[in-house]
Amino acid sequence: MKKVLIGGIGNVLLGDDGVGPYVARLLASQYEFEDGVEVADLGTPALDLIDHISGRDAVILIDAVATEATPGTVLLYRKGDIVRQMPVARMDPHSPALVDTLFSTDLFGIAPADVLLVGITVESYETGCSISAPVKASLARVVAEVLRELDRLGVSYTCRRHPVDLSIWWTNAEKMKSTGSELLQFL
Amino acid sequence: MAKRITIDPITRIEGHLRIDVEVNNNAVSNAWASCTMWRGIENILRGRDPRDAWLFTQRFCGVCTTVHAMASVRAVEDALKLEVPLNAQFIRNLILIAHALHDHIVHFYQLSALDWVDILEIPKADPAATSKLAESLSPWTRNSRNELKAAQDRVKAVASSGQLGIFANGYWGHPAMRLSPEVNLLAFSHYIQALEYQRKALQVVGILGSKTPHIQNLTVGGVANAIDLDSPGALGMERLEMIRVLLDEVVQFINQVYFVDVCAVAAMYPDWFKVGSGVRNYLAVPDLPLDTKGTAYDLPGGYLMNGNLAGVRPFKTASDQEFRESVSEDVTHAYYRSGKALHPWVGETEPAFTGWDGEQKYSWVKAPRFKGEPMQVGPLAQVLIGYAQGHPLTRKYTDLAINQVQAVGGIRVTPDMLHSTLGRHAARAIRAAMLAELAHKHLQLLIDNIAKGDYTVHNQPVFPAHQVEGVGTHEAPRGTLSHWVVVKDEKIKNYQAVVPSTWNASPRDRSGTPGPYEASLLHTPLARPEEPLEVLRTVHSFDPCMACACHAFDPSGRQIAEAKIL
Repeated sequence: MKKVLIGGIGNVLLGDDGVGPYVARLLASQYEFEDGVEVADLGTPALDLIDHISGRDAVILIDAVATEATPGTVLLYRKGDIVRQMPVARMDPHSPALVDTLFSTDLFGIAPADVLLVGITVESYETGCSISAPVKASLARVVAEVLRELDRLGVSYTCRRHPVDLSIWWTNAEKMKSTGSELLQFL
Repeated sequence: MAKRITIDPITRIEGHLRIDVEVNNNAVSNAWASCTMWRGIENILRGRDPRDAWLFTQRFCGVCTTVHAMASVRAVEDALKLEVPLNAQFIRNLILIAHALHDHIVHFYQLSALDWVDILEIPKADPAATSKLAESLSPWTRNSRNELKAAQDRVKAVASSGQLGIFANGYWGHPAMRLSPEVNLLAFSHYIQALEYQRKALQVVGILGSKTPHIQNLTVGGVANAIDLDSPGALGMERLEMIRVLLDEVVQFINQVYFVDVCAVAAMYPDWFKVGSGVRNYLAVPDLPLDTKGTAYDLPGGYLMNGNLAGVRPFKTASDQEFRESVSEDVTHAYYRSGKALHPWVGETEPAFTGWDGEQKYSWVKAPRFKGEPMQVGPLAQVLIGYAQGHPLTRKYTDLAINQVQAVGGIRVTPDMLHSTLGRHAARAIRAAMLAELAHKHLQLLIDNIAKGDYTVHNQPVFPAHQVEGVGTHEAPRGTLSHWVVVKDEKIKNYQAVVPSTWNASPRDRSGTPGPYEASLLHTPLARPEEPLEVLRTVHSFDPCMACACHAFDPSGRQIAEAKIL
């Protein structure tokens, strides 16, 4: 049994930054995963990310990224891509995040063998609880990338016959009862 | 000639702390603290159901999730004058204690230890000598030569690879670094071990709150935990026993490692009891309620001004009348539409960004004031206020720390020396030891209350038709947190959060009085202004947490934190 974390990262109160938690909930509502797989809305854990990823065989993180690409563009990063960026001096607990976390887990010998970051280029980080149209349009692609990685890892999952509630409680548009199926129609 | 240094980790989208210091003759002659991002998250809460507010406030900050959830339900309960059942108080207290222990461990080892510990000295250490030294300091069983050697080997591997990785940004070999190779190795070994114990503390939060990092068990009027002593699915003996076992390990780490390390580092950097004082007005709120009404607490609160311990004024309750009436926020130097200082219940959050200008507006942080004065908050405030009131638990661990520092370094720390950079670290360790003792007490209080047959966890909130105001406070790891809510027709009319780092990172106010970070940096000596390690030491001693919000990964790595000489 592989220990896999699928973690959505981001702040759900800051517009598109909430896409990571959104996708985590979407996956949990639509799919069942084999034992050992945990799907989690991690919020903005900063260095606490170490506590979440240590001891896992593989980690798939979904996060908003700031790039020059068109909003909604989905980009994949492996560990090497991520650690090429040097860590930042630690001014506050938010400064150390993904890069520092990966360095730390390496140093402490608790690093996952496989790390994939599925990055979604955002349109807006403005304060607010909704996700922009281009980012929403990318959700099916993001989910597909996560599933492709699970396939590569040899981890099984099944589409739920009856999706469970999305529980995107922070948005007004998607009520708690929404199933999210409509977002994935073209999968 | 004066030089200006800006320390500004601007890589990510998060709001960050930026520090500007002016240096004259290798000492800081002026300082500005600012936050680089506008959030205005409070505005999201207007018009929402007050019962849901905690779900949103829990997302203010990814590191302090539980504390904002707790302050929020307390604010609404205060507005409704709603009592909280005993079981709910103890469950909440245990969550708050476990979270704080986690936070204090992370702060010392992950965020600030490397200000004092020189990684590149570690390969020179003798593991056997280190082990012998460690045994003289603490009964901790994981200070063996083998374990220390393994830690040293990790550093050697990193150093010889040429890829310093996590350590690439340190000021290694800086003249302000003064620990022996052995002490450096010992602290580093504990830095590795700390990860295990911080995780155990989080597990306690997870068991009681059902999830981390966002707990699920809160509700206005209590908690949502089902109590059933015999059911493994509910909060019963099995889970309570798991919590006890986890707490045992965390408490032992606090007492035998964290507390000891802080005292040892303090003993070896005695000069730092003379640096970093700044604002000597302190504020703390009572916390860890012991009854349903909130009339008795295990942590005392109050305030004292100008470092005058004899003049300490206690707060009777966590929403004390004097506290309620005395808080205002000034925006003279903050990027908000200017006006007079406002009480949080009528507070406004209207942005007006004008760019950094130290003479005018320069921060997104408002300037909170208590009776018009800047206040330092955090463990030091709590320890001084408790000590001044003769609080037995505070005295016990403060005296223990003072004796420990004397035993190791031969210097006698007086309470007056705690107004300093090291004083803040020592106070955090003292507070952690206090909380470690209280962790077991509150677990026992919970078990005893359940054993009496009381399974109540929740009181139903009743909303009056007229407008009501409430304040919910929590003495969080970084200090006094207060959420201020105005409720009308079961909807939130106004919401303001005055967070600990707002008090400490406050910019100047209309009278030009600087905030605690700013004041604490004045006169700090800098051995090498181009490597302002000393500035970082003092800023880190406050345990700054500025972002409270947005995180995004910037894969281009285009701007790294740097110390710019302007």
